[in-house]
Amino acid sequence: MDRMTRNITLIALLLGSSLHAEDAEALFVRRVWPLFQEKCLACHGNDEKKIKGDYDMRTLESATKGGESEVKALVPGKPEESPLYLASTRQHEDDWEPMPPKEADKLYAEQLAWIKDWIAGGAPWPDEAKRNAIAKANAKKWSAEDGITVKTTGALSPEWANRRYKPEALWGYQKVQKPEIETRNGENPIDALIAMRMPEGVKPASAADARTFIRRATFDLLGLPPTPEEIAAFEKAFAQDGDAATKALIDRLLESPHYGERMARHWLDVVRYADSSGFANDYERGNAWRYRDYVVRSFNEDKPYDQFIKQQIAGDEMKSNDPEMLIAVGFLRMGPWELTGMEVAKVARQRFLDDVTNSVGETFLAHSLQCARCHDHKFDPVPTHDYYSIQACFGTTQLAERPASFLKSENTAGFEESKYLETRRIEHMAVLKQLDDKMLINAEKWFAEKKLDRTVWDKAVANARKFVQGGGQMRKARSFTGVFEVARSALQKQGLPEGQYPPKLVGFTPEDFGNERVARKGLERLKWELDRYEPFAFSVYDGRTPQMVSVNQPMRMPKDRMTEGELEQTAILGGGDPFSPTKPVKPGVLSILNTIEFPDAIEGRRTMLANWIASADNPLTTRTIVNRLWLWHFGQAIAGNPNNFGSTGKKPTHPELLDFLAATLVEKKWSLKEMHRLIMTSAAYRRSSELQMADSKLSREDAEKSYAVFKPRRLMAEELRDAMLSITGELNPVMGGIPNRPEINIEVAMQPRMVMGTFASAWVPNPLPQQRHRRSLYALKIRGLRDPFMEVFNEPAPDFSCEARDVSTVTPQVFSLFNGQASYNRALALANRVMKEKATDAVGRVFELTFGRKPAADEKALCEAHWKQMEAKQAQISFAKHQPPLTVKREAVEENTGEKFSFHEKLPAYADFVPDLQPTDCDAKTRALADVCLVLLNSNEFAYLY
Amino acid sequence: MNRNFFPCAGARALHAPTRREFVYGLGTTLGSVALTSLLAAEQKGPLAPKGQMVPAKAKNCIFLMMEGGPSHIDCFDPKPVLEKLHLKEFTREGKMKSAMESGKRYYVKSPFKFAQHGQSGAWMSEPWQHLPKVADEMCFFRGCQVDSVNHPTAMYQMNCGNRFGGDPAIGAWVTYGLGSVNQDLPGFIVLPEVSYPQGGSANWGTGYLPAQFQGTALRSKGSPILDLQPPQGITPEHQRANLDLLAKLDATHAADHPWHDELKARMNNYELAFRMQMEVPEVIDLEQEDAKTKEMYGIGKDATDAFGRKCLLARKLVEKGVRFVQLYNGTWDSHDYIERAHGNLIRGVDQPIAALITDLKQRGLLDDTLIVWCGEFGRTPDNGVRGGTAYGRDHNPKAMTVWMAGGGCKAGHTIGATDDRGMEAIEEVRHVRDLHVTLLRLLGLDDNKLTFYHAGRFKQLSQIGGNPIDKLIA
Repeated sequence: MDRMTRNITLIALLLGSSLHAEDAEALFVRRVWPLFQEKCLACHGNDEKKIKGDYDMRTLESATKGGESEVKALVPGKPEESPLYLASTRQHEDDWEPMPPKEADKLYAEQLAWIKDWIAGGAPWPDEAKRNAIAKANAKKWSAEDGITVKTTGALSPEWANRRYKPEALWGYQKVQKPEIETRNGENPIDALIAMRMPEGVKPASAADARTFIRRATFDLLGLPPTPEEIAAFEKAFAQDGDAATKALIDRLLESPHYGERMARHWLDVVRYADSSGFANDYERGNAWRYRDYVVRSFNEDKPYDQFIKQQIAGDEMKSNDPEMLIAVGFLRMGPWELTGMEVAKVARQRFLDDVTNSVGETFLAHSLQCARCHDHKFDPVPTHDYYSIQACFGTTQLAERPASFLKSENTAGFEESKYLETRRIEHMAVLKQLDDKMLINAEKWFAEKKLDRTVWDKAVANARKFVQGGGQMRKARSFTGVFEVARSALQKQGLPEGQYPPKLVGFTPEDFGNERVARKGLERLKWELDRYEPFAFSVYDGRTPQMVSVNQPMRMPKDRMTEGELEQTAILGGGDPFSPTKPVKPGVLSILNTIEFPDAIEGRRTMLANWIASADNPLTTRTIVNRLWLWHFGQAIAGNPNNFGSTGKKPTHPELLDFLAATLVEKKWSLKEMHRLIMTSAAYRRSSELQMADSKLSREDAEKSYAVFKPRRLMAEELRDAMLSITGELNPVMGGIPNRPEINIEVAMQPRMVMGTFASAWVPNPLPQQRHRRSLYALKIRGLRDPFMEVFNEPAPDFSCEARDVSTVTPQVFSLFNGQASYNRALALANRVMKEKATDAVGRVFELTFGRKPAADEKALCEAHWKQMEAKQAQISFAKHQPPLTVKREAVEENTGEKFSFHEKLPAYADFVPDLQPTDCDAKTRALADVCLVLLNSNEFAYLY
Repeated sequence: MNRNFFPCAGARALHAPTRREFVYGLGTTLGSVALTSLLAAEQKGPLAPKGQMVPAKAKNCIFLMMEGGPSHIDCFDPKPVLEKLHLKEFTREGKMKSAMESGKRYYVKSPFKFAQHGQSGAWMSEPWQHLPKVADEMCFFRGCQVDSVNHPTAMYQMNCGNRFGGDPAIGAWVTYGLGSVNQDLPGFIVLPEVSYPQGGSANWGTGYLPAQFQGTALRSKGSPILDLQPPQGITPEHQRANLDLLAKLDATHAADHPWHDELKARMNNYELAFRMQMEVPEVIDLEQEDAKTKEMYGIGKDATDAFGRKCLLARKLVEKGVRFVQLYNGTWDSHDYIERAHGNLIRGVDQPIAALITDLKQRGLLDDTLIVWCGEFGRTPDNGVRGGTAYGRDHNPKAMTVWMAGGGCKAGHTIGATDDRGMEAIEEVRHVRDLHVTLLRLLGLDDNKLTFYHAGRFKQLSQIGGNPIDKLIA
């Protein structure tokens, strides 16, 4: 029984059912009134206009009177006759609808007892002054018994400000306290801290064998499997000196550039990286890849984590001339965002502000701040004031793609692929030109039909022709300027009445409407894609908020950023609505931790915020990152919700360990690589996943939770794909650069995808196998078009931050991995590799590459028999040569006309397509060995990591 | 000619075993699947059928999603005032002015004549020729409002309750709440257009609910489920042989790791998938239906073939115990030339939908099955001058028509009203969350109890709770 329950029971015992009047009053102040505030008043009083069931609980009088049932709700002295109590018990459903309505909000037995005792005690209802006096008189006593209050700024109500918290619910805000640990014989302090909480009598599993360990460590740090040679070398070294070999292995892996790629995958899950903007247009974010590579570089350089934070929040403010810093703040824009002509600009701006506020909270502070957007946080000491204070740090943050020259460390290869986009651009321009000519002819017809004089028109057309031939207003030739439209708007500007000159898109057929729209929107979309090869960063700047109507092309930083536009005054927004500002707030931080004076300036707010977050004294920051690191190694975090350290998140299972790691991180100068070394050399990490359960009373789950045994895991989607490419020898290990496009399920690749006003272009894979076979990290990530293979294996959608990946077992995984073309391709490539190597024991070699071990005799016999059997089958199959499609037909209902309309999308990149190794390239024997390979790639031994 | 619902999917059904020999499941884990058809009462696992929370008639739902935003003004909510205002200038002021408002705007009358139908006197526009016959089965609601003026965000809100996507779709919630009668098929099936709606498959996602409740799209072109079949040339026998080897290797591995439950689930999954790839083509084969039925749904006629197939398949799926079927049609985003655009769209769905209602009724399934028809928002009484005067309409989150049929809805009634121009709902005005609460209630679910703990709080379809629209419930 915890202290709180004990106290309550005690009160109940002492007081029985007949309280003295003053005790009942105290009970009301201490328990009942706060309970009403928390559970009832949202619907029964706080908002006068929206009182539900006509029942108002703000005063004794109205609470007694009852609601629309017209039955007295409160009978002092008689709880069993008081509907208020009866409804709360949820036991009288026939007469009284259970309250609060949500099952999740139901009152606990103690809470019911408070209401019951208070009514039995006469239901006294002291007024506010008296309530305050009673609270004041009892403050000391109650806080000792009930928990503590905390100091925050600007709560919306005194009740909330004086709310009490159980100390354990506030663990995240407590100062990090490095535990004193006694270790013997070079014992890793982590193990001492884990041993402290090991259930009594449990003997942890012994260390994993060398082969298991190298596979575990290599996947954990690189996301790739070890090669058979690496395994053999490690086994040999391990046999000589296990500790030294382990240390050397970890050092080697941490030095591998693939380490950064692996850590970036984790980080990008948290920050929701994607190469497109989502929503209606889902425009590509041509420069986002540079942020992805910045993350990889940062991990590889072992950039101190505090620097990593500061750069992502305020890099541009700290070093505005450093391209790297302009790239780093791309973090602030990782969420989906767009502004279409259909939307209200202010609403879209607010979406960005809400997104970035919450994202900074979740990513760095393990605080889901959005819960405080409309009201003071229900559970945590985060007043809505704090939410808007943090938001105010971004009130002058504006979005732009900023010039940032390419760095030496960036991979700028492959830009020549823009020629395929160029082909498309030229084609769109040609269509628009053709339609322009057509409109000019149609215009003449129009004049003839209307019997109007066309002298003015002809003159306007002649001028327009000159203007267009002189280059028009084309920006880098990426927009189309038509003679017809220039002439028409000239006349419009001259104030010629409508009807004296031809209407827009004059004389168009449904097909013309469709072609015009596809070309125009296609050009618009290309602007974003072509930005990929330009030295710009997906970035932000400080300034006033410019007036915007819609965003249809990459945004550039305005010259008059400090003077033009609105200087936003952040205010608490009623109900989170940008049109309902209430109290203005200044930039600030979480007030439970600190109060900081921000200078009243446009620039520098984010730097202040970043410095506060990245301070060694900020207990949330250090705990957040070491908790994530732990999760990335053990598949379970110490505090079970890495994005939520609030009272609704899971409490740390090993709080001392968490604090030890947090403190150590600062001692090690925020070096994450040092933390990996520390964690991975612990006995806990080196433990086997095999526990002789017969000896143990622990359930498997508890054994894993207490780290008595290592928790195995299924490979992540990206690991599955990368591992397959790695063992077939197809993986192209080149790092960074513009995103690549691997082959995805062809039906999905070709499926028409609707975006605002048109179809997005088809997914066309890179022409060459080595371009396609790069690590999954580099695959173009479009929010509206996900690789179904990745999706079914639990790759998170990039809309919400993913604190930890789900692992589910669903049938579509089988379709993908066992039926999918990619799996067949990998199996064939693996078989081909082994055949080409002329291995004396082909099956043995396949096992070695896939599982890192030789097959047992019976396994080998089975597989060889299967090989033989399948060779006969394979000999009978005839295969068609792979023919990539060069166009795809798109059908739609034309928006302007409602008529059916179709066009052919050209796929120029397919003209140069070189397919992966095809069945037609291999003999039946190889193809039959590929059957064996396919089976191994689908096996549990391959998919699970122990 | 092979006229399956999915024209490319029939060939492999030749080898399909009979149902008695095989059972299969989608997205189920070990324990939920063993001989489930025979042992329905003992089923466990996430998809096992569960009882209703509140007594209700509907057990299944067919959700007809008219993507793009059908115009209430041109379908079910006549606005004679617009006759007088036609082409008169329209101005909209205030904070919600968006770029959509730019330029000159003018009122547009409906090009369609309206008439009342059935005993209930339901209003329908002229292009609806078949639906009037079942007018008295329908319950119209004119009070619904949504928050977003953009397609994907409004679609997400209509489907998932949350404008920004990522939350479970209503079909996922219903399947989570009621389970599925048929363990051999997914509980939540979606019949999308060839082109997915804006926002993509997140419109039928499972969000934070377990993956088993994900909507399974049966694609109308190509393979109904992605990679349902192995590449060309690989016969079922060939595949079976590979599967047998896999089973043996996995068995050895599992014997070495007896404590590792996930291994068994994954092994089982392969067997389920194998059976399913035999079975699905049979399920979606519409050839066994008689000619009269196909004709009733408009199958074989150009205008109605596509949606007719979807409606007929929906009936089949519901008959087989699929809990929630969502059909997409569109796009109804008629910014210009509403007469042609909406006229064609209405003619494409009119006969199939009327047939679906009639057919379900004939089979005694209408009481059990709630049919819902809506878009993500309605349309405005006005239009902007873009390509000249084009008689279209823009998006309108403040007014729309939603109708229901069957499943315990208040058939033969029209509830709520919009103002005389169809600009805003003015009677029985309800946020879409109330509609969601009502749909759940009609299916025997209580939104306040149908919750899932995620990221630190109990979440629900309505996001923050709502009130059922009692007037829509019989």
